[in-house]
Parts: sequence; C-alpha cells; structure tokens
Amino acid sequence: MRDVWIAGAGMTRIGKRSERLQALMTEASLAALAVAGIEKPDAVVIATMNPEEFVGDGNFASNVATYMGFAEVPALRIETATSSGAAALYAGFAEVAAGLHRTVLVVGGEKMTHLSTPRVSEIIGRSIDAYERSYGATMPALAGLITRALMARHGVGLREISQVAVKNHAHAARNPYAHFREPVTIEAVMESRVVADPLRLLHCCPISDGAAAVVLTSERAAVRIAGIGQGTDTLAVRHRHELTSFRATQAAARAAFQMAGLGPERVDFAELHDAFAPFELIALEDIGLVPPGKSGGATLDGETAIDGRLPINPSGGLKARGHPLAATGIAQVVECVWQLLGRAEDRQVSGRVALAHSIGGLATNNWVTLLEAQ
Amino acid sequence: MIETIPASRCPRCEMIVAPPAPYCPHHPVAMIPTTLPGAGVIVSFTTLHSPPEGFKSPLHIALIELERGARFVCHGAQTETRGLKLGATVAIEALDNVYYFSHLGALDRARLFWHRAGHAGDRVNAIARSLAKRAWKGMTRGGS
Ligand SMILES: [Zn+2]
Repeated sequence: MRDVWIAGAGMTRIGKRSERLQALMTEASLAALAVAGIEKPDAVVIATMNPEEFVGDGNFASNVATYMGFAEVPALRIETATSSGAAALYAGFAEVAAGLHRTVLVVGGEKMTHLSTPRVSEIIGRSIDAYERSYGATMPALAGLITRALMARHGVGLREISQVAVKNHAHAARNPYAHFREPVTIEAVMESRVVADPLRLLHCCPISDGAAAVVLTSERAAVRIAGIGQGTDTLAVRHRHELTSFRATQAAARAAFQMAGLGPERVDFAELHDAFAPFELIALEDIGLVPPGKSGGATLDGETAIDGRLPINPSGGLKARGHPLAATGIAQVVECVWQLLGRAEDRQVSGRVALAHSIGGLATNNWVTLLEAQ
Repeated sequence: MIETIPASRCPRCEMIVAPPAPYCPHHPVAMIPTTLPGAGVIVSFTTLHSPPEGFKSPLHIALIELERGARFVCHGAQTETRGLKLGATVAIEALDNVYYFSHLGALDRARLFWHRAGHAGDRVNAIARSLAKRAWKGMTRGGS
C-alpha cells in the first residue's frame, strides 16, 4: 500500500448559502486544487447525501464533475448518510494507496437551507430504520433516547452536555468559516427549548449549506493520512444492546489506530461528530481519548477546550461550524490539515497527530481518520 | 390478557427482534417466527415537542426491553411519562395496531406473575385490560 498525502485542502464558508450546490462544491474544489498546484486531478470522488431530494439532481458524480470542468475525469459518488464525506475520503485514499491514480480530488457538499426544517428533518430521517420512523423517530428523537440513557448511566448531567455546546460555540466564534460566530452561555443552552427531552435546541447542530475538498496524492506532502477506519452497526437502534456507546465508532477507531500503528495517547487534537452535544462525550470515550466515565468531567474542567490538554473541535464542530451533511467529514479533515500546517489563525492549536471522527446515520456507518504532519 | 408481540429469532445466535425480520442483523440466516409477552423494562424514553408531520405533540417514544433481551420501540400514553424512571416495568398493549406502554399497577404485576408462573389469570386480566383501555380513552395518535 502506498502512502497517501494531502496536497491541498479547501472549503466554503458554512451557513445559509444562496449559491447552487454545484457552485459550492466547485468553490471548495478549486481552493484545494490551487493549494495543491494541480489544475486537473486524475480522478474525482464526490460525496453528497441526498442531492435528489435536496436539490432535485441525480447522477451527481457526473453532474458535479462536468459543472467544474472535469467531464473527462473518472468520477464516482460515495454515500454513507451523514458520514458520506469521510467515506469519500476513504474511497479516494484507496484509489491512491492502490496505485490506481496519483492525484484524487475528494469533495463533499450539501445544500438544504432553502427547504423548510420539517422537510429537511424528514429527508435526513430516511436514514433511520422504517419501523422506528413509523413511531415518529427522528435523529433528535433517537439522540434524545441515547442522551437520557447516558445521563442515567455515566452520571453525565445537563451541565456537562451543555458545556460541550458552550465550548464549541466559543471555538466557532474564532472561525471565519463557521455557521455560528456568536458565543453562547451555559444558561442559554440549558434554558433553550426542549427538542427531544432531555435534548434542547442548543444541544443540536444547525441545518447548514457548504462544501469541503481535499486533494490526495501519492507524492510526499506536508500531511499524511496515517490511518483510516470504518465501523458499522445495526440500522435499528432497538437491535443494539448498547445505547451509551457506539460500536461503529469503537470499530472505526480500532481500525484507524491499527493502520497508523499508534494509539489514542498520540492524538494531539480532534474533530469529533457532535451533531448532538452528548455525542462528543460518547466519542471521547469510544475512541479512547479519555477514560470511560471521564468525558463529562474533562469537558467541565476545560481539558477539551481550545487551550486545554486535548482540544476537541477547534473549528466549532458540527454544533457551531455547522453540519452540511456530506461536506462535514471532509470539512473536519480540512480543519485538521489547516491546524497541522499552522494555518488556523485565531483558533490555532499545536500538535502533530490529528483525529477526525464522522458518524453516518444514527451511528450505523462511522469513520475515524488519523492525520500526521511530517 | 397480556398482549402478544410478534417477533423472530435467529437460530444461529438466538437474537430476538420485534417486529419480526426476515434475516438476523448479524447473520445471513432466515429468522424463525416467535412471540413475546407485551411487558418489559424501560431502557430509555424521550418526548418530542415538534414531532414529525402526522404526529401529535407532545409525542412520547420509548425503548423497552422485553423478555429474552429483545428491544422494542413504542409510544407512551399522553400522561404516562411523568415520573417515569429507567428500569421501570411496563405493560405494552396494541391499540389499532399501534403499540403503547403504560405503568404496571398492582393488578398488572399480579397478572405478569401468573403469566410467568404459567397460569393465565383470565378474570384479573380482563379487569386490567378494561382499566388500561379506559386510561387510554381519548388518546390519539396521528400518522401511520
Ligand atoms: Zn444471528
């Protein structure tokens, strides 16, 4: 297997965007290609979760590739629900590692804010088991079930969960690419309206538009993909025995660490999938970044803040940078690359090993990627 | 009488799922139809205040562990989640093919005991059932 390097990274500002999805994905792609000094890649891998429903276009690999001037470049589309971006990175990684292509553009994007919130929720909710959906289960509903169980089992309280949101909003306030630039107080989070008891509005990520891209190459560059792992689990939450940890994250982390030949103690900072604030606490423990039962305390103590021992979500995370679905897994990697290269400006952290963690569906298809600065 | 919930069992790993599925989630093996009594323990629950289209607010959704480790998703009756604790034993009953859980009263507990002991306390069950129906009267649920 060949080493795979990241030669360029780029993304759009995340938020409510008026441009077409194709234009957003082109903006991110051209930014990444410019940094890499490449006009045209050997192949393109595209991630979008629901372009048919959100923007009404199908055959989306060809659609986007043609839009940005790559009609003759081999293109394919990858989809694993909300982790599609991370899955596309894996596909591009495999193409380069196998020696099939020397340079691969990986780009993910989603455009949703032009639709009503109930409509967006319904489309995203199609990634949930049909029986559970027939009882009204949405992503926030299932996250609410998990949060209540988490609060009972680990002694994690509303304050610990709310502090994740406070921290990530504070980080996003320093990130010009973030959806939300305003800090929030813990009182505001704890008093925001109940969405899926005990989850409140400010525990949940927003609906965002945006795109992110990286250029992968077999030629040595500043950042290497040291490991990438996938983990899966049952579609139905009722078919699992564990609610307060995700098998898919644990398996993905094991696979990524094994490929990289290093352990969680080597990780200097991470971007974790905090679509719901308690998921950051679960991920910290599932990946082994903090010992079991310690994630809430570590968060309250500031260990995971941007100036803490182990900065988590310096970008602001899904919670505050925003969550344009298939863009997210790549946006996390873009943030890690910028941090590793010392180009994160006001939110710069220090470190040589970064970790990105992406959840697909209700933790049915998760990814962990390890990036190392050379 | 106690509700009977259709389920299926994997002959390889003995996992039971409800409602029944053609294949085990963990093995490419056809599942065998079975049933479970409609009583279990609350694993978790939530209340939605902006439920999806077709459902009335507030919407209670619960995850219940039935016998032999099978987990089941159902609704709670309108007034039933106040003071509800994880680990509480509840009864599940179907109303128009939709499953709801409710707290178990003394009668219900007795009836469960008899069920487990292998004796159906039919008369007591009939009383418990009519009480449950009365409690649920007026409760509505939109959607499928
Ligand atoms: Zn099985």
